[in-house]
Amino acid sequence: MKVFNLPDLGEGLPDATIVRWLVNEGDKLSVDQPMVEMETAKAVVEVPSPFEGVVSELKGQAGDVIQVGDTLVIFNQNASEQKPEPTEEINKVKNNKVTANTAKETKQIFYLPDLGEGLQDAEVVRWLKSTNDDVKVDEPLVEMETDKAVVEVPSPYSGVITKLYGEPGELIRVGSALVEFNGENNVPAAEPQEEDAGTVVGAVEVGHQVTREPSSALVKALARKLRVDLSSVQGTGKNGAITQNDVKAASEKRTASLQKPTESVSTDRHTHLTSTQEPLNYRASPAVRALARKLGVNLANCETSGKKGSITQEDVKACHQKLSTTSRTPQLSTATLSPSKPVSQGLPDVTISPESLRGARRAMAVAMTKAQQQVCLTTLVDDANIHFWKGKNNPTVRLIRAVAQGCLKEPALNAWFDGEKLERLVHPHVHIGIAVDMPDGLYVPVIRHAERKTAAEIRFDLNHLIEKIQNKTIRPEDMANPTITLSNFGTIAGQYATPVVLPPQVAIIGAGSFKEHLKLTSKGIENQKHIPLSLSFDHRACTGGEAARCLKSIMEDLSLPE
Amino acid sequence: MPAVTLIDAVNMALAYELAHDKDVVLFGEDVGVNGGVFRATQGLQEKFGKDRVIDSPLAESMIAGLAVGMAAQGMKPVAEIQFLGFIFSALDQTFSHAARMRHRTRGRITQPMVIRAPFGGGIHAPEHHSESTEALFAHIPGLKVVIPSNPTRAYGLMLAAIRDPDPVIFLEPKRIYRIVKHEVEDTGEAYPLEVCYVEREGTDITLISWGAMMHETLIAAEKLAEKGISAEVIDVATVSPIDMDTILESVAKTGRALIVQEAPKRGAVGSEIAASIAEKGIMHLLAPIGRVSGYDTVMPYYRLEKKYLPTVDRILNEAQDLMEYA
Repeated sequence: MKVFNLPDLGEGLPDATIVRWLVNEGDKLSVDQPMVEMETAKAVVEVPSPFEGVVSELKGQAGDVIQVGDTLVIFNQNASEQKPEPTEEINKVKNNKVTANTAKETKQIFYLPDLGEGLQDAEVVRWLKSTNDDVKVDEPLVEMETDKAVVEVPSPYSGVITKLYGEPGELIRVGSALVEFNGENNVPAAEPQEEDAGTVVGAVEVGHQVTREPSSALVKALARKLRVDLSSVQGTGKNGAITQNDVKAASEKRTASLQKPTESVSTDRHTHLTSTQEPLNYRASPAVRALARKLGVNLANCETSGKKGSITQEDVKACHQKLSTTSRTPQLSTATLSPSKPVSQGLPDVTISPESLRGARRAMAVAMTKAQQQVCLTTLVDDANIHFWKGKNNPTVRLIRAVAQGCLKEPALNAWFDGEKLERLVHPHVHIGIAVDMPDGLYVPVIRHAERKTAAEIRFDLNHLIEKIQNKTIRPEDMANPTITLSNFGTIAGQYATPVVLPPQVAIIGAGSFKEHLKLTSKGIENQKHIPLSLSFDHRACTGGEAARCLKSIMEDLSLPE
Repeated sequence: MPAVTLIDAVNMALAYELAHDKDVVLFGEDVGVNGGVFRATQGLQEKFGKDRVIDSPLAESMIAGLAVGMAAQGMKPVAEIQFLGFIFSALDQTFSHAARMRHRTRGRITQPMVIRAPFGGGIHAPEHHSESTEALFAHIPGLKVVIPSNPTRAYGLMLAAIRDPDPVIFLEPKRIYRIVKHEVEDTGEAYPLEVCYVEREGTDITLISWGAMMHETLIAAEKLAEKGISAEVIDVATVSPIDMDTILESVAKTGRALIVQEAPKRGAVGSEIAASIAEKGIMHLLAPIGRVSGYDTVMPYYRLEKKYLPTVDRILNEAQDLMEYA
């Protein structure tokens, strides 16, 4: 004898009422076969059989209340919890080999499902199938009429119908048998019986996971609501965490003290907008960002000429041009230039914030860092006598001509050098870069073929380039690929310097402010005008002799009357 | 602390407020004897009596009208519309009176009322039971529209909604009524309205959602983390008026915004959020604003509703698309 007691129904329900028995005493039951409908405080559920065996006694009748743990069904002695013997199953499979290879044939009863909206029953309007029909899943079986509408009920199984319950016009209660099949057992039965989801409409998914919401979410939301800046709140929670009460206290304290709430909020907003992700430090529309990506321009290098400090497409294009002049140093090495975070730490505590370098100024910083890392710099200085100049000589034009002459005399200075490959390219032509000082940084436009240009041509070129810089119309090619550079800093101040050679060039000439030397001549003591010259060269690429000879011929050319 | 579902939390909040504020009255179809179709009001009539938890006739227009009248007289009615799909006959009272009363009377009469309604799909319900029409209410000035996404927030926001001096449409995402449990302390502590809740912090992309879709959105965020993408997840919670500051601050940080909603795409709350991000935050965007939503079609019957509801995969695909912009 086996006894089945009413199991715990969950949700703390103490008892259940028998609605109706689905089996009779003496019936042979299989495991999981529904035995009885029980009603709890929340829903009607079918209780399945835990055993395979014959029912010897049913305890209670419809309407009786059964306590959890009380006996519900008694089975005879042979009842077992096992599924049918395997041998039996094999036989069954064999018998049904023709119709179903893998599934055993069984009877399936389709009970009228919950029709939703709390409807308890439905009337059979007409059968769309009859016994012995072979139906597929989802094929309509029957038209049923509820209080609300006539619906077609689809088949939950594939198989052959063996019995139809009910005639047209008959009322069928929800949960009662509707159709019996001889079908494939492995076809998924309709919706699995949900645990009580407390609804008469549909099926609410029930989960058992217990979670907790992050307390920071509430604290942040509360701070937003009360306009409290969390960064100024001292946490009193675990590990210094800020609690709800901390936020409330901060809010009260602030309203109690001087009233300046809105001001603190707006400044917070701004500090919050700074980001861990670099591209967001710049205001640029997606289109501008797309352009920057296309041109390979880092937004950090761009001017912010747009509205509210935003970067415009023009800014990106301008940045692209500048970068391509400084970085287009073809054939020669692509030594990585990382100015290793120029202002990372240790800036003194000042009230004004550091600016991030942009445009020409940033390009200069990068180029000079590279030069400093690579070049073996040596500087030679001397004064060129220009006492004998006649008429109007433009000093810059004369300097350009002199440098070109020096380069022709000593081509080793008019060269490019690759320190990695140890290659040297001596140029047959002289393209002189002229360092031009502008408020936003250093520009180096190039006078092409200076060696074969007249003074007038050089002057024309020079004026034209400077004009372009002032108009911001200078193009990358105007500044590309100088072979040597001239810096005429003396127009401002200074006599000698150690100008920095920009790789891959190997030399740069600096010209200082005019100076006068007393000279003893045949006419007596004369005050003669000189230009102080500083020639810096990369000693890896040129010898001291080559540099000195170059400087000498520059001075000789400068000393000519015209 | 009891571990409770979202629906239990609603029940807890209602019970707390009934016990502590004699002006609070509950009514609606089946809220009394039956305890509500989803059991949101289970046991409340027994505990607080038939005068305070009232079974109403099946007449939504009357339910809303009753609430307007009670609120005008200083009571705090909490009316239930059994499903949001049944509210349409109550819209006249809601839009034409509840939403406008403060304005109409120059602040002399306010409407401290709440209209509760389960909404959204995913529970195999029949027609009219599964729509997400929060945008209808979000469009009406004078109404607050609040949607909780977990049990803790349901409790805190429900208390705040009842205590708010103005009408609150409190929409309960019924698909997640019982999907997770939270340990919720019955302290009577309200959560702030009109602010977003940053559910998860991240740096690469901001996922913005509310209601039932927060469930999928949080799963997606977890999966994105496995792929090395750090997603910030924001629960909008009050979908009208929207706390755009929290959203914009997050988008300025991540540069990417993806909105996840169950409602149809067109003219929705997500549209409003996207427009506001474009208006005020476009300079911080690295990628277009993404939207994963339901489709612009009538909510399908339940056999197809899973195809309609946004899935974790759809969120992941869209998020990864947005990540491909630099």
